Amino acid sequence: MFTVRPLKPTFKSYLPPLQTDVKKSLHPPVKKLEATLLPGEIVVNEVNFVRKCIGAEKSHDDLWGKLICTNFKVSFVTHEALAQPRFQVSNRLLGEHDIPLACVDQVVTVNDAKGKKKVLGSNQKLKFNPSELILYCKDFRIVRFSFDEAGPEGAKKVCLAIAHYSRPADPQLLFGFELIGTRYLGSSEDGLNGARPAGGSQTPLFACSSDWDREIKRTGAAEWRVCSVNQGYGVSPSLPEFFVVPASLADQDLRQYAEAFSGQRLPVWCWNHPNGSALTRMAAITDPLQQKRLDQRICNAIIKSHPQRGDVHKADLDKNLPSIQQVNNSLVRLRHICVIDPFEETEEKWLSSVENSQWLDYVRTFLKHSCDVVYILEGLNASVILQEEEGRDLSCVVSSLVQIMVDPHFRSLSGFQSLVQKEWVMAGHRFLDRCNHLKKSDKEESPLFLLFLDCVWQLMNQYPSAFEFTETYLALLSDSMWVPVFSTFLFNGPKHHADTMHDFLEDKKITLGEGEELCLPPVWDWSQQLSITDQALFNNPIYVGKAAPYAHNGAVKSFRRTKHKTWSSTLRGAPPSQTGWSSTLRGTPPALARNGLQGSQGTLPRRNSLAAQLKSDLFPVRDVPESPSERFARDWFSGPADPQGLLLPQLLPSHLALWRLYFLRWVPEAVIPRGGPVTAVHAVSQLAHEIETLQSQLRRYKGPTPGSTPRASPAGGPPGTPHAEPSRMFFKAGSLYEPSPPPEFLSSSFPFTPVGNLCRPNLRGTPISKLLNGAKTWLSTETLAGETA
Amino acid sequence: MEKSGSMDSLGSKRSSSRQASVDSLSSTSTSRSDRSAQTKPPSAMSSDSVSTSAELSPELKVGRLLCCQQIPNECKEEPQLLPGETVVDVAKEVMYICPFRGPLRGTVNVTNYRLFFRCMDQEPVFVLDLPLGVVSRVEKIGGASSRGDVSYGLVCKDMRNLRFAHKQSEDALKKSIFEVLMKYAFPVSNGLPIFAFEYGQVFPENGWKVYDAIAEYKRQGIPNESWRVTKANDHYELCDTYPSSLAVPVNIPDEDIRRVAAFRAKGRIPVLSWIHPESQATVTRCSQPMVGVNGKRSKEDEKYLQAIMDANAQSHKLFIFDARPSVNAAANKMKGGGYESEDAYQNAELVFLDIHNIHVMRESLRKLKEVVYPNIEEPHWLSNLESTHWLEHIKLIMAGALRIADKVESGKTSVVVHCSDGWDRTAQLTSLSMLMLDGFYRTTRGFQVLLEKEWLSFGHRFQLRIGHGDKNHTDADRSPVFVQFIDCVWQMTRQFPAAFEFNENFLVTMLDHLYSGLFGTFLCNSEQQRVKEELPKRSMSLWSFINSQLEDFSNPLYVNYSNHVLFPVVSLRHLELWVGYYVRWNPRMRPQEPVHQRYKELLARRAELQRRVEELQREVTNRSASSSSERAGSPTRSITPVQTFV
Repeated sequence: MFTVRPLKPTFKSYLPPLQTDVKKSLHPPVKKLEATLLPGEIVVNEVNFVRKCIGAEKSHDDLWGKLICTNFKVSFVTHEALAQPRFQVSNRLLGEHDIPLACVDQVVTVNDAKGKKKVLGSNQKLKFNPSELILYCKDFRIVRFSFDEAGPEGAKKVCLAIAHYSRPADPQLLFGFELIGTRYLGSSEDGLNGARPAGGSQTPLFACSSDWDREIKRTGAAEWRVCSVNQGYGVSPSLPEFFVVPASLADQDLRQYAEAFSGQRLPVWCWNHPNGSALTRMAAITDPLQQKRLDQRICNAIIKSHPQRGDVHKADLDKNLPSIQQVNNSLVRLRHICVIDPFEETEEKWLSSVENSQWLDYVRTFLKHSCDVVYILEGLNASVILQEEEGRDLSCVVSSLVQIMVDPHFRSLSGFQSLVQKEWVMAGHRFLDRCNHLKKSDKEESPLFLLFLDCVWQLMNQYPSAFEFTETYLALLSDSMWVPVFSTFLFNGPKHHADTMHDFLEDKKITLGEGEELCLPPVWDWSQQLSITDQALFNNPIYVGKAAPYAHNGAVKSFRRTKHKTWSSTLRGAPPSQTGWSSTLRGTPPALARNGLQGSQGTLPRRNSLAAQLKSDLFPVRDVPESPSERFARDWFSGPADPQGLLLPQLLPSHLALWRLYFLRWVPEAVIPRGGPVTAVHAVSQLAHEIETLQSQLRRYKGPTPGSTPRASPAGGPPGTPHAEPSRMFFKAGSLYEPSPPPEFLSSSFPFTPVGNLCRPNLRGTPISKLLNGAKTWLSTETLAGETA
Repeated sequence: MEKSGSMDSLGSKRSSSRQASVDSLSSTSTSRSDRSAQTKPPSAMSSDSVSTSAELSPELKVGRLLCCQQIPNECKEEPQLLPGETVVDVAKEVMYICPFRGPLRGTVNVTNYRLFFRCMDQEPVFVLDLPLGVVSRVEKIGGASSRGDVSYGLVCKDMRNLRFAHKQSEDALKKSIFEVLMKYAFPVSNGLPIFAFEYGQVFPENGWKVYDAIAEYKRQGIPNESWRVTKANDHYELCDTYPSSLAVPVNIPDEDIRRVAAFRAKGRIPVLSWIHPESQATVTRCSQPMVGVNGKRSKEDEKYLQAIMDANAQSHKLFIFDARPSVNAAANKMKGGGYESEDAYQNAELVFLDIHNIHVMRESLRKLKEVVYPNIEEPHWLSNLESTHWLEHIKLIMAGALRIADKVESGKTSVVVHCSDGWDRTAQLTSLSMLMLDGFYRTTRGFQVLLEKEWLSFGHRFQLRIGHGDKNHTDADRSPVFVQFIDCVWQMTRQFPAAFEFNENFLVTMLDHLYSGLFGTFLCNSEQQRVKEELPKRSMSLWSFINSQLEDFSNPLYVNYSNHVLFPVVSLRHLELWVGYYVRWNPRMRPQEPVHQRYKELLARRAELQRRVEELQREVTNRSASSSSERAGSPTRSITPVQTFV
């Protein structure tokens, strides 16, 4: 499958190619170029003789072809192959050069001769004939097309069409609906009938009460129940139809309480710690008169649901975390330095630019806050309420991070997917607005989900064997946000989903038959996008997994690291000053051990006069006392980490890194040929594959085990060929016991490629050429003094 | 199965071993270097310490050879002494003011090799074990206070500062233990021998035999029709900072070589470092030409460089890489030095690589220490890091090496590399580019050869740059040139995690022993001095220690890239601070969960499966005649500690 031409792994390839005739192919191919269309996809406009710019400046490698705008994508079809080989994981819904319209962030038309430039919106006019079209994509790509040989009118029309169709007025106009509608009506033969429920995917969607029941059982949350007051969305428009509440709260109460909450978002259960502490989330209480009473009631109910009647702590997320706008601005800045600004110019101030974007800061803040929540749950044995104005944004990030840190189930692939389903999709995260699919309001746009994925990546980076999936999976998941076919990322909540679906059926006059259901598929059935072979890219070869759910195996022990139940009472109220925890809501604190912490530790520095009086710049002594949660983290860090136990991220700023695969994958200058973390994955994969092979050999030798199918009976034949069981490893071992070097197509961007995906408008030369011309360096007087001294 | 057994115990004894591991971190936070410093070969391990350490996690068990943890010392207040080590002073009631945990009261032992601090009233026990060679300066802070306390600060070469305090002795004549320490920390200044000369450990491997110049030349195919090995420096008469055997162009007679030596600073003539096996393009190194303000020329030198160019039939050009910024190179003319003018050297192209001198680098590392120790300032971490310029220097050095490697590999052109004296920046550049070009140097032994050759034999002045046993901490000749080089190597291992046979521990251990004074490897300034001091006879080589336990230093991910040339990306987007070295004293810093550990488990699993497959294979052959209604199950399966999905 990697039929790529050998690439000389030198950086010669970055050197500007020899200046040959720019218009090397003045006779563009005349063969008919057609877009590959999906069911329901129609061509809106197209223009021929378009040049897709591959190199930044020289047109040597450019491709000639046809630019097509459909109601789903911007497609570029060509008969030419790239001069430079590339490896790009191929998407079944998209061609090599295709960009879904939902991925287009900005459409910029340029007229070189007139020196004009215009950012196109919907239904706008263009007063000049564009000579160039630049598409800025939400996945950080920048793609450039040149129209110097194309018909000016045709080019203009395509540009306008792209600008128009990338801003659908209504969610129903998102392509997914067209796709399932056509599939349903046309009963297409591809077996992907829209009425088919999401088969192949094991991921619970939490749309029915049984999924919640199972989760309650799995986590041992005995005192919690699934309630169905919201069936038909009668109580809250943004909560799912089924959610989990304390068993002590009756439906009647819930209906009554709901009115007081913003968006009628009652407190709902997310997850239970094995020690019985619960993680819950709720919106702000809008009625100030009821505030106190309600708080009290809710807390009492949660305390009652705690087997040890543990306390309740409330985390005010709005106060402690950046706003969604701040997060968005941060990504805008980061995108600038990563892909828009010229490489070499950003190079000099790279570190401070990254700092100024504040992205890593925010990543850290979310991780830190989640750690604090983990501390309350695990260290204090108390329940936590995540409170946020609407309870649909920041709390999605925090609640899912907490669960990933504590519960290894969510670090498996299916567990992670169910987590996103539970804490994002069903919890009513406004994916439609936050992704800005309709490009209606930039104020509502925010890359919270990407921020969450980045936080997960940080954990993965620090604990590489704790996750069943790879960073490639995270990147592909994030890219799927921009393929508007999956229900997962298209709606502002389950009700919005249902309503839109309903309207759609009405508009299309579709009447579903008995037991028939028409729905957009969730993203979790990955065969929609990727071949089985490519899905192996998801599997982390060094994952240490456990088959049994965590609540029933030895890993529970690691949860119970702190037996100091007394902590909960003494530490209550201690964090608020620093971390903004609102104080506990329980009436009377138990009169247990006031000094529990001090007494049980004994390792806190004993401050005496000697320590106090000795201060010098050279030998600073840390004066700020550790917060209990810091201490909790430090204690945890002092032991070895169990990949199947609790995981806390290292939060020293020096330990957070930029997620290079995601942010730099399109930057040609940043690609390490035959290098990058993937080469380590490659090496381990080969070993894992050998183990697979040996295991299947072993199975064959052992013959049919009782109860299994009798077909494999290898007694006679040599066990050389294991029966077909697809390998979980993308990289296979060539010959046993002799690991092969990384193949040519591997690079730090794998499985993506920068070739043709990043054309900065004003890139002046490549970094190497710049380097060859002598890098700019600062000169200090000290330098000279030192040299001549 | 031994490994899995220890894994099991890790899982089940988690709570019980917890205390111990808490301890280990707090002390590793201060003694990771000591781990390797307290060398104990297996034979010297006392049996009780072995049994104690059996309870420790595998990570610590790996350290068994390397170190004795504080656990074996539980009942003793003194360190386990190395052969040749003696306690010279003991003081009780000393306060170690830990920047992370506050003041700790304990006992200090000073030996001729180390400072050993142990805090008794802490549970778990806190130990600080510091080789004295690491100490850069000892200073008394403030005068005696009213309470009669005196305080001492120890500035260390390995990125930390330690601070102690104790009561002023009643007896005014009695010296503070830190005054005693000062004597042993700076043996050279006090007429004492460096500990390496007293260290009596015997290793199964002899590291002094790792490098043989002639053999290495032979590996490269030298001598050949264009290059010969000259004896002109047999007794270091041509150049006292060069090794005795040098590879020079075949057609330059020794008399001419002497004249070239007269024209090059310190007599460091251009000599061959590496030759491309196919194109015959070469990397040669030298010092600056003595051009001076008047633009002096040397016919012999010009002819010599022409001969280097002619030795490579593939190219009619020669690249001269001057590591310095051009301004500095020009400024050197005032002192009689300078650079090759393109008029005098036909067909040569001169390129300046803009790498700054040892003083700038020293200052940069000093700033870095301020930024990372003891605590990292959270809000401005990246801009603080940027302001140290450390990564920018790393980038320039790597960029220079990259250009050299590219010229040789892609341009098939020979290069000459020099700076001023050709022993600092030049060593960095040639060794890094050779590491990129030649896979041999990426093996553990190959890397040792590279160091012995490009750094030790070609006279990087380790004694001066590190200041072994010298109290003159302000000496302007000190500079972290070698640290910087190892950092560059680490950056390359990050970008190519499977291309190097050695691991991070190897690099850290090397830097630790750069200072520790335990081994003779990094002593002296040149081969001549080493021969004179009879280092191989009188001291141990670091490679003896390392090669006796290669397992601890090997990268399990290593796959041979065969002859592939590595071209790292020298951009700040990929360069990162080596936290595993610079930030390791911070107790909040835990070494990353090693992929390596997991990989080793997989290897063990594969071996196990292999064994079982073979077993069954035999069984099947044996039973083929008899009926086989029941086949042997595999009870071992349940023992396998890690259930994976693979």
